[in-house]
Amino acid sequence: MNRMNKTVLVINILVVFSIALSLISVTASRGSEDASELQNRAIFGPGDIKHGYESADYTTDTLDLLNRIGKEAELIEFARQPPLGLPPVPVPADNPLTTKKILLGRKLFFDRRLSINNTFSCAMCHIPEQGFTNNEMETAVGVEGRSGKRNTPTVYNVAYLDRIFHDGRESTLEQQVWSPFLARNEMANPSIGYVINKIRAIDEYDGLFEEAFNGRGPTMETIGMALASYQRTLNAANSPFDRWYYGKEKDVISEQAKRGFELFTGKGTCSACHLVQSEHALFTDDRLHNTGLGYEASMSRDSGTTRVQLAPGIFTELDNSVIESVSRAKENDLGLYEVTEDPNDRWKFRTPSLRNVALTAPYMHNGSFHTLREVVDFYNQGGIPNELLSPLIRPLDLTESEIEDLLAFLQSLIGSNVPALVADAFAAPIGDVSKDDPDWTHKNKLKY
Amino acid sequence: MKKMSKLHARWIQGSIASLCVLLASVVGFQSAAIADETCMSPYMAKIVGQEDYVYIWTLGKEGVGDGQDKLVTVSVNPESKYYGKVVNSLSVGGRNEAHHSGLTDDRRYLFAGGLDTNKIFIFDVHSNPSKPSLHKVITDFVEKTGGMVGPHTMYALPGRIMVSALSNNKDHGGRTGLAEFTNEGEFVAAHWMPTDEDMRGAVKVGNIADGYGYDVRVLPRRNVMVTSSFTGWSNYMMDFGKMLADPEAMKRFGNTVVVWDLHTRQPKKVFEVPGSPLEIRCAWGSQNNYCFTTTALTSKIWLIYEDGAGEWHAAAVGDIGDPSQVPLPVDISITADDKGLWVQTFMDGKTRYFDVSDPHNPKQTYEHVVGSQVNMTSQSWDGKRMYFTSSLLGNWDKTGDQDEQFFKLFEWDGEKLVEKFAIDFYAENLGRPHQMRFGAYSLYGQKPNSKDTLLSQLME
Repeated sequence: MNRMNKTVLVINILVVFSIALSLISVTASRGSEDASELQNRAIFGPGDIKHGYESADYTTDTLDLLNRIGKEAELIEFARQPPLGLPPVPVPADNPLTTKKILLGRKLFFDRRLSINNTFSCAMCHIPEQGFTNNEMETAVGVEGRSGKRNTPTVYNVAYLDRIFHDGRESTLEQQVWSPFLARNEMANPSIGYVINKIRAIDEYDGLFEEAFNGRGPTMETIGMALASYQRTLNAANSPFDRWYYGKEKDVISEQAKRGFELFTGKGTCSACHLVQSEHALFTDDRLHNTGLGYEASMSRDSGTTRVQLAPGIFTELDNSVIESVSRAKENDLGLYEVTEDPNDRWKFRTPSLRNVALTAPYMHNGSFHTLREVVDFYNQGGIPNELLSPLIRPLDLTESEIEDLLAFLQSLIGSNVPALVADAFAAPIGDVSKDDPDWTHKNKLKY
Repeated sequence: MKKMSKLHARWIQGSIASLCVLLASVVGFQSAAIADETCMSPYMAKIVGQEDYVYIWTLGKEGVGDGQDKLVTVSVNPESKYYGKVVNSLSVGGRNEAHHSGLTDDRRYLFAGGLDTNKIFIFDVHSNPSKPSLHKVITDFVEKTGGMVGPHTMYALPGRIMVSALSNNKDHGGRTGLAEFTNEGEFVAAHWMPTDEDMRGAVKVGNIADGYGYDVRVLPRRNVMVTSSFTGWSNYMMDFGKMLADPEAMKRFGNTVVVWDLHTRQPKKVFEVPGSPLEIRCAWGSQNNYCFTTTALTSKIWLIYEDGAGEWHAAAVGDIGDPSQVPLPVDISITADDKGLWVQTFMDGKTRYFDVSDPHNPKQTYEHVVGSQVNMTSQSWDGKRMYFTSSLLGNWDKTGDQDEQFFKLFEWDGEKLVEKFAIDFYAENLGRPHQMRFGAYSLYGQKPNSKDTLLSQLME
């Protein structure tokens, strides 16, 4: 990372923390500032803090897992009355939101037993304090360490999506949950029936489905409905931007961020895909585009060496043949083409929302950009030319100060209720195997 | 426990003082012949003669045999008609990321951990040393420990097994701790690693207190326990090549060694040891108040030592190969006389012998290519027999033609290694051999069982 990028990163971090502090300060009492700052840092990023790791004088500020503070929230209210800047939450007529369904869905979301070998819950990739994504790797890793080829997308504001996954292959949250349950490189359950049988065999779930679904037990449908209900409440907005733009508060974002918004909707043309409307903004057009990044990943040639960090301040250049010797076969990623098989859809990926984007690094469908600065630089250069490049992508000629302005704007999109959502997640029980749970070595065995 | 032969001793129970007296008086503490596999707990019963079996904790591999983890027993006594052959294989279900194992102090049970599934398999190795049986499975390690993931080192303390974990159930990162179990596998206590937010009474000597874990070793004479630091589940389960190319992932390695008060389990000092210090080997000599560790990524030998004033320090004392090429030192093994340190470097498949007579100034005096990749080693107490296995981690092992998976025995005459036999674990449809532990009839007052059979005969 060059000096400029470092500077931007440090500024980004400071901005995120300062925004976060201002959000927390509403409820924090004087005299407990230290505790509140710690909780704040626990909520806005990995507690295993690595800022400055590139430097030899890197100093840890590691948070302690045992000190996390959970606090349950009235999650249903974030769906009934979405925070400022979000439209009404679309709720399917056949799956109305109830608190029982939401809490059941939350329990399922954090249950590591819902995988073939009891190691993976949804939350092992969608980590609450890491923007409900994973800040610590570019692309996901699933059961038995099997490689995913895509970056874990955040689940903030997924209630509004009509196209789900980076390739847009799924249409409802109720259906979506079964893909990770069954994907061999995610939770790797061998069948739908296996998941249902396992839930039935775990005592903690006794009666919970029946109470939430008018007597219906765990089924493919009710499991999807419960998980969708929880995710439908994870709406994070009322950000400083929302308070300024929709709330008409004057001084909640900086002049630099305001200039950044002008660029976002003007010279930068970002809002052509990341939509901002008069009453609300989802910051996505819910469509798929070819930016050239996928094309490059599929078609580029070996560059010879890779710079690898070994310790704080210690790097080496490793020959790619060395890396190849310990690499398993890497799957290409052709985006929407993998759904439609239309060659014109090669390397098209879904436009992500930019809400809370400062919390969801690394970026792009393959996590290859680690900072927002890298993302802005990519679009400023006009993406990567290829015959299917979206006509919306072109060089932007943004100046250095304009890039800084744009970054300041992007930092202003963290929802004010993020602390509440993360603290609620911290309060959720994590499902790990007990002696009463099903296992072939226990009395409680799944019946097959 | 059954009556023991005069060929072995047992040191358990009692205070540090009485232990030292016992060691010094019974076996002559300054002599070389006090250790068996030289890297084991000083509380453990010893094999001081010829080992009969090596128990190899083996990773299952999809497409190889039954594809699941197993404990493989190989006959290694030259007197046996099955010398150099697999005599038993006990499959345990699943690919748990079989990794390290450790014997109880009385050497009756072998605890073997799964870094992925967090199961700990407890094998009975005393009832029939040629044919271990599955005695018990700990399945609730994560729940009992309050969220630790990745049971790694299984280390014998008096009546206890200390388990060092690698990760946690909240972010699959490196923050973790130690967990203590009875020899019967009942959970006793969790000891989380010190972090900046909660140093748990320890002093941060350098800039780093990352809360990561890996190995654990003790120096009872000094009431000292030492731990090292590797990486969390996300990395150790990740494809190695994918991880090397991911700058975010490469930030998630441990850079610390912690010195603890052994009796109180209180961390005392957190040392900055950059580049993932892995195995720890403590010296045996009564005046040798130090331990070695090696850093996987930065390829250095570090000395953790006590000065004349009783203060503990950490110092880098030597390079291993060319650190810029990341030879990746993995397992290490100290000789019983504290004069030598074997270091395996995974990437070039070498074992390297360092003269550590002056522990502050190690000198490499010998190297030998064991295979296309090499990881673990176990040496007999007299240092004459060196056993090697090839596998590092399921998704870190080499690929293609370089993915050799073997168990090999070499003899060491002080100048060179000579191969005695090798078993191809893929050809045998077994999997990927990892850690080795020795077994012997003499430990239990037994003799070879006439009913012993060769596994291959059973399979015919």
